[in-house]
Amino acid sequence: MKKNSSLLTVSGVSKIYQMDEVAVKALDNISLTIKRGEFVSIVGPSGSGKSTLMHLIGCLDIPTSGKIILDGEDISELEERELSDVRNHKIGFVFQAFNLLPRTSALENVTMPLLYNSTSEEHAIEKAKAALEMVGLGERMYHHPNQLSGGQQQRVAIARALITDAPILLGDEPTGNLDSKSGTEIMKIFRNLHQHGKTIILVTHDDELANQADRKIMIKDGKIIN
Amino acid sequence: MSFKSLLKIAIRAIKANKSRSLLTSLGVIIGVASVILLVSVGSGLKDYITSEMQDMGSNLVMVMPGEIDLDKLGAGSSAMSSSFAAMSTSKLKLEDLNALKQQVPYIEEVVGLVMGSAPIRYQNESKIAQVLGTTADYTEVRKGEFESGGFFTEADVNSGRKVAVIGYKIADEIFGSPYVVGEKFKLGEYRYTVIGVMAEAGGQGSMSPDDKIYIPITVAQRQFNQDHLGIIFAQAKSSDDVAPTVSMTQEVMERRLDKEDFTVLDQKEILSTVSGILNTLTIALGGIAAISLLVGGIGIMNIMLVSVTERTQEIGLRKALGAKPEVILTQFLLEATILSVGGGLIGILVGAGGSLLIGIFMPTTVAWWSIVLAFVVSAGVGIIFGVTPAKKASELSPIEALRHE
Ligand SMILES: Nc1ncnc2c1ncn2[C@@H]1O[C@H](COP(=O)(O)OP(=O)(O)OP(=O)(O)O)[C@@H](O)[C@H]1O
Ligand SMILES: [Mg+2]
Repeated sequence: MKKNSSLLTVSGVSKIYQMDEVAVKALDNISLTIKRGEFVSIVGPSGSGKSTLMHLIGCLDIPTSGKIILDGEDISELEERELSDVRNHKIGFVFQAFNLLPRTSALENVTMPLLYNSTSEEHAIEKAKAALEMVGLGERMYHHPNQLSGGQQQRVAIARALITDAPILLGDEPTGNLDSKSGTEIMKIFRNLHQHGKTIILVTHDDELANQADRKIMIKDGKIIN
Repeated sequence: MSFKSLLKIAIRAIKANKSRSLLTSLGVIIGVASVILLVSVGSGLKDYITSEMQDMGSNLVMVMPGEIDLDKLGAGSSAMSSSFAAMSTSKLKLEDLNALKQQVPYIEEVVGLVMGSAPIRYQNESKIAQVLGTTADYTEVRKGEFESGGFFTEADVNSGRKVAVIGYKIADEIFGSPYVVGEKFKLGEYRYTVIGVMAEAGGQGSMSPDDKIYIPITVAQRQFNQDHLGIIFAQAKSSDDVAPTVSMTQEVMERRLDKEDFTVLDQKEILSTVSGILNTLTIALGGIAAISLLVGGIGIMNIMLVSVTERTQEIGLRKALGAKPEVILTQFLLEATILSVGGGLIGILVGAGGSLLIGIFMPTTVAWWSIVLAFVVSAGVGIIFGVTPAKKASELSPIEALRHE
């Protein structure tokens, strides 16, 4: 994997939410480039469009206009079926609300992305166990989400985001629902992953955390302001 | 995603809401069970009547008093009941029977029957018995076998001897033994001597020979104070001879009686008319029950729509992790199919078990086609009614689904 080559290029992307009469311009002609192995944080006031941008990069939504190239592939042109492949192979997404399946063990939650590609079940379980060990939950594999603390749940979610060896890890306020101690632990995992070469984009409201990244991008009213 | 993993997910979702799943399937269970049950009653009735009629012997042609229109039989039982009324005002005579015997060469045997009932008395036992007056050829036509003794002869008939052949059940109940040849008993005003006991034939109801007394036709006419015959049975020599027997019998009888005073019927024709009516009845019963299957299917659709709405977040998450639309579609379709097929299988057990239970009281035959039909329809219902909710789930936008509250 070539370092310093660009992994993600966003050029002239806008997102407009059309609500009955009014149109909300959540993103206004955004352009940015992220290199392989980079750790970038995105900050900005509430409603500035941070989540909207993450959803577009994470292939969860499509831009109204503009182009997004991820790992050499133009994802703004893809159909839903192809987008699901990109989501599965190229993106690890960590949500603010953890988004784990209830009544389902940590291990099964982590295994899930691999079941949506051609990985065999045994191999998937092996990888999921390793990922859970990595985030320090080797002892909690068979716990259900309601038996885990918030910090532990978020670590399960990180393990799930890592399991497909996706080139990019997206975190949309992953520490937003956590106390500062758990937040620091999560941040430690992110930094550790970064040291091992993972490309990371992290949205946060916490300046202290944002400053730990290689680069800080500031968004306001759907525009980049630095 | 492997089918096995999808199956696991679907089963887990069903198990997560056990009582709701069971209640949803209940519609299909009741639908399938009632289709199988009602069809088994209908076809049981048909099998029973068909076998009773075949027990009468083969290649039979009947001459009945009055006018019977088989085509009208389907419209109601009035045609049948009016023919029973016609028996008492019958214009058929013993001479007609002799004429048929002599003039229709295709006939192997021909017998006439005089029917009535009278109290039978022997020592302290008594009972109202069905009495059939007939000719000596009767056993040939009805293929009877004897436990003891034998049938009366032509000489007995001609000389009007008061002898009787009794059914197995009468011998058992009134005489206490089937070996009672020579015993004397009273039938109404007259005294008769037992000359034969028929072997046990089984069967139930008015068709069973076990519960009857046979006496010479000449004696019966005196016993019941009538000079006509209730019915004439003619047996053709072979199945090929049935058609010419019918047409010649018609000709011979037309020369002797008015057209509206008799009807010539062929056993097969009656059988096919009756079984046609019963088939229609069976299908109608099954059709009515099938409506409840439809209602069961709508129940499944309803609960699947609820399930999709409840699990919108889960669907969004699965899509965010890379589940393709068709995988989500299959997952929910599988869930609907398990509910309906599972309900169908339970319904088959309940329906088949129920019809075995009802079989204690009345004839039932579990028709294999009703099982196949009920199963295929229930599975189809699940798939068809599962498609709409599953499609709805698969088409959700991942981000909107994730945001759903
Ligand atoms: N589905 C939607 N429909 C309509 N408007 C939307 C939708 N999603 C977001 N918006 C609008 O787009 C703008 C950007 O929202 P976004 O969620 O990206 O902000 P954010 O920077 O993530 O805010 P926060 O820090 O509070 O999470 C907001 O004005 C929001 O109201
Ligand atoms: Mg946000």
